[in-house]
Amino acid sequence: MTTSQTAPAAVKILVAGGFGVGKTTLVGAVSEVAPLRTEEYLTKASVGVDDLAGIGQKDTTTVALDFGRITVSPELVVYLFGTPGQERFWFMWNDLVNGALGGVVIADTRRLDTSFASIDFFESRDIPFVVAINCFHGHNTRTAEEIRAALDLDPHVPLLIGDVRLRPFGRDVLLALVDHLMSLPAAAG
Amino acid sequence: MTPYWDEEEPEEDAAGTMVRPYTITHGRTAPERDDFSLITVLTTAGEPLDEHGVPLRAGRLQPEHRMILDRCRRPAAVAEVAAGLDLPVSVTKILLADLVGQGLLLARAPLTVARASGGADMGLLAAVRDGLRRL
Ligand SMILES: Nc1nc2c(ncn2[C@@H]2O[C@H](COP(=O)(O)OP(=O)(O)OP(=O)(O)O)[C@@H](O)[C@H]2O)c(=O)[nH]1
Ligand SMILES: [Mg+2]
Repeated sequence: MTTSQTAPAAVKILVAGGFGVGKTTLVGAVSEVAPLRTEEYLTKASVGVDDLAGIGQKDTTTVALDFGRITVSPELVVYLFGTPGQERFWFMWNDLVNGALGGVVIADTRRLDTSFASIDFFESRDIPFVVAINCFHGHNTRTAEEIRAALDLDPHVPLLIGDVRLRPFGRDVLLALVDHLMSLPAAAG
Repeated sequence: MTPYWDEEEPEEDAAGTMVRPYTITHGRTAPERDDFSLITVLTTAGEPLDEHGVPLRAGRLQPEHRMILDRCRRPAAVAEVAAGLDLPVSVTKILLADLVGQGLLLARAPLTVARASGGADMGLLAAVRDGLRRL
């Protein structure tokens, strides 16, 4: 296809986690624009584009996601996609998950289990990720070690605790992800 | 191959909201080419030329096509165009493919960062880190 030399290149980071943990809030806190919303149709059996002939039948679901952008330089834009919390079908949105730089899993200490699926997903797809514990619902009384144990987190996965409404915290979470990516063997090659 | 809807009898069922977007694409449910991702960046061609260097004239464009050309005067990702049109991503991709096929829109593929292909390179990661530090 005709390529454009003047357009910036793009990379994406996925922001996942359970229902209502603060994904959209984090995207909005670091994005240079108010979070935008888009949606896609997914067929539950198979999500290949070829299979969309089945559209209009009952095996199709709509998955919506919020996203924001950070212009890193005139040549590079980072898109942040907040994946739908209660919706397990985003896992099948191949275009969404393929080629992601990495992921952020947001968790709430009162219901850590709602973020298990996101952790499992990133691990299974070999997408590097960091965990952000969001405290906007009140004070967190658990230590990082307790949370790590409860999430059964690999020791090398960064874990940060803070308030996702605050841009400095969102920035630190994303920086922790980039540092984590830089520490991985494949990136060093 | 490409299924067409019977426009006389729009389907109305539980997923009835899906019917209208595909009338915009004249029933096509898949783009000609599947080389757009959510973050493929699109830019309206400044002076579109055909393969012989002759200036292109936009063919019969639908309002949605014109909105895309307008939007992409400043580079925008597929997801941004879809959000702006309030259309699903798959429908938007069909319209984008029409315009790229006519040479009216230029596309830039995302950078390859998949772990399977060695991950992002250090230069890219350093650029992202520097950009984030300025937040
Ligand atoms: N206590 C408190 N709650 C908040 C605050 N800001 C947002 N919320 C609530 O937290 C919930 C989740 O915030 P979101 O950022 O939308 O979370 P999300 O993960 O995107 O949610 P889903 O997309 O629905 O899964 C919402 O129901 C908000 O009402 C806040 O400042 N304090
Ligand atoms: Mg949300």
